[in-house]
Amino acid sequence: MKSVLQVALGVIAAIGGFVDIGDLVFNAQAGASVGTPALWAVPVGVLGIIVFAEMSGRIVAVSKKPNFVLVKERYGKKLSVFTLVASLVLTVLTLGAELGGLGFVLNYFFDVSVSFFTLVALLAIAAAIYFLPFGGLERIFGYMGLALLVYLAGSLKLDPDWGEIGRGFVPEAHGAAVYWYFVVGLIAAALMPYEIYFYSSGAVEEDWDESDMSVNRANSIVGFALGGLISVAILVASAQVLKPAGISPTSVGTVALVAEQPYAQLGLILAFIGILFAVAGATIDTAFSAAYNLAQHQGWKWGKRFQLLSEPRFTLSLAGFLLIGFAIAQTGVDPIELTEYAVIFSIPVLPLTYLPILLVGGDRNVMGKYVNGPVARTLGWGYFGLICLLAVAAPVLFVWTNGGG
Amino acid sequence: MRRRFIALALAAVAAASLTACGGPMSPDELKRSIETLESTAAEGQLLAGDVADDRTKATFVRVHSRDLGDVVVHEAEKLNDAEADDSEVVSAKTDAIDLADRIDTALGQLQVAPGSESDARTAAKALGRLSADAGKLAEGL
Repeated sequence: MKSVLQVALGVIAAIGGFVDIGDLVFNAQAGASVGTPALWAVPVGVLGIIVFAEMSGRIVAVSKKPNFVLVKERYGKKLSVFTLVASLVLTVLTLGAELGGLGFVLNYFFDVSVSFFTLVALLAIAAAIYFLPFGGLERIFGYMGLALLVYLAGSLKLDPDWGEIGRGFVPEAHGAAVYWYFVVGLIAAALMPYEIYFYSSGAVEEDWDESDMSVNRANSIVGFALGGLISVAILVASAQVLKPAGISPTSVGTVALVAEQPYAQLGLILAFIGILFAVAGATIDTAFSAAYNLAQHQGWKWGKRFQLLSEPRFTLSLAGFLLIGFAIAQTGVDPIELTEYAVIFSIPVLPLTYLPILLVGGDRNVMGKYVNGPVARTLGWGYFGLICLLAVAAPVLFVWTNGGG
Repeated sequence: MRRRFIALALAAVAAASLTACGGPMSPDELKRSIETLESTAAEGQLLAGDVADDRTKATFVRVHSRDLGDVVVHEAEKLNDAEADDSEVVSAKTDAIDLADRIDTALGQLQVAPGSESDARTAAKALGRLSADAGKLAEGL
């Protein structure tokens, strides 16, 4: 039981990263549009985030330095400020989308108004952040988000074509731009930078040291693999339900409707519980990530492990980012579209986020005997090259395919 | 030098965006719009089928059918506002607006009576037919 609870950080970072409000719909769109041939993109992305999360957790365990301390140390002043601003824009836009998404999800339960439930969501998230310890936040929102495994059970119950699924995990040469749009999007979704900000800062919150290397490995592998499994399950279930019916999902309601097909009302309720906690987890990931990045860059005292009132600058920035996210959500912008705009801002942030991890992870002076081995080094630089390629390909494919439509 | 290059690149992107926004509606744009109607009607049919079989929750049906109706109305507004030169496009555009209106009406039935299994059966049939009609209309372009 103890070992199950120890992987909560990896689970919440992955659930909040892989199946946030935009990714839930994106995974369903991928299944409905191109179907199982795009499946191979998910493990490619999952392996990448495991490599970087494990590396960043190892760096924290050895040096106690989370991601934005590395950014500040490794980059000059101008580049580190640019990285900070770009990451804040990306993270706060995503935070706004998640809060708006929570409003939509709660409104499916009670039908009052999305704006009202966005306010309710803001207050509930603020109360959870204030009253719950960091471990409590991780466990409640991470593990309750696992209700999304209903999509795994659902796709099995819908009697999938296993041969087709198996072939989906083998990359194929494909001429259609829309296929590559979804492949690139699925890989990029797994590598969203705020997962790493939250994971590395969470490792500091949990006070990891060199004795926690196996906990770090378990968190990065189990947590992110679970996130990837849910991503695969939503894609497969959508390919089974939506693709044959010619439905192209545009809202989180369609994603819930998929789970209703195999399990009727139970499927619908489990899907909405999973979506609610996964999106709330993503809200917490992004709110903390923005506050962590600012505090670490400015050298402030930070962290949920201290009393929030004893570190007013960190607490005020956390509250401020939540309020900005709420203001963005209250403009009435579609949360799904907002996450698409956020992807544009992730372009410069992706390589700038991952480069310092690679540099420090490979620095024997800092890491000593925990320096990157040949496997971590090869995979790390390989994925860094892929990230640079994605940063260029994603916006081009977005424009070319009219957002996959 | 680098700043000038970035400014030029941004100007090119802005010009390309503006070019894409103006002018009469092309058959491809109309086709995308009709495909949205086809997809929305098909989703409405799936939802209505679940109501008919008592497999869903009334609040979800009410909210989701309203959302689907909003998508259809928004698409109809875009079609109505778009200019068209080509006679084939003009004719298909008129048919698409009519289809959007009928899809919205069928979805409205679900929204008003999300617990009525008999109304849902009627709506499911209508939405299935309308989705097929939209598919045929899009194929003809």
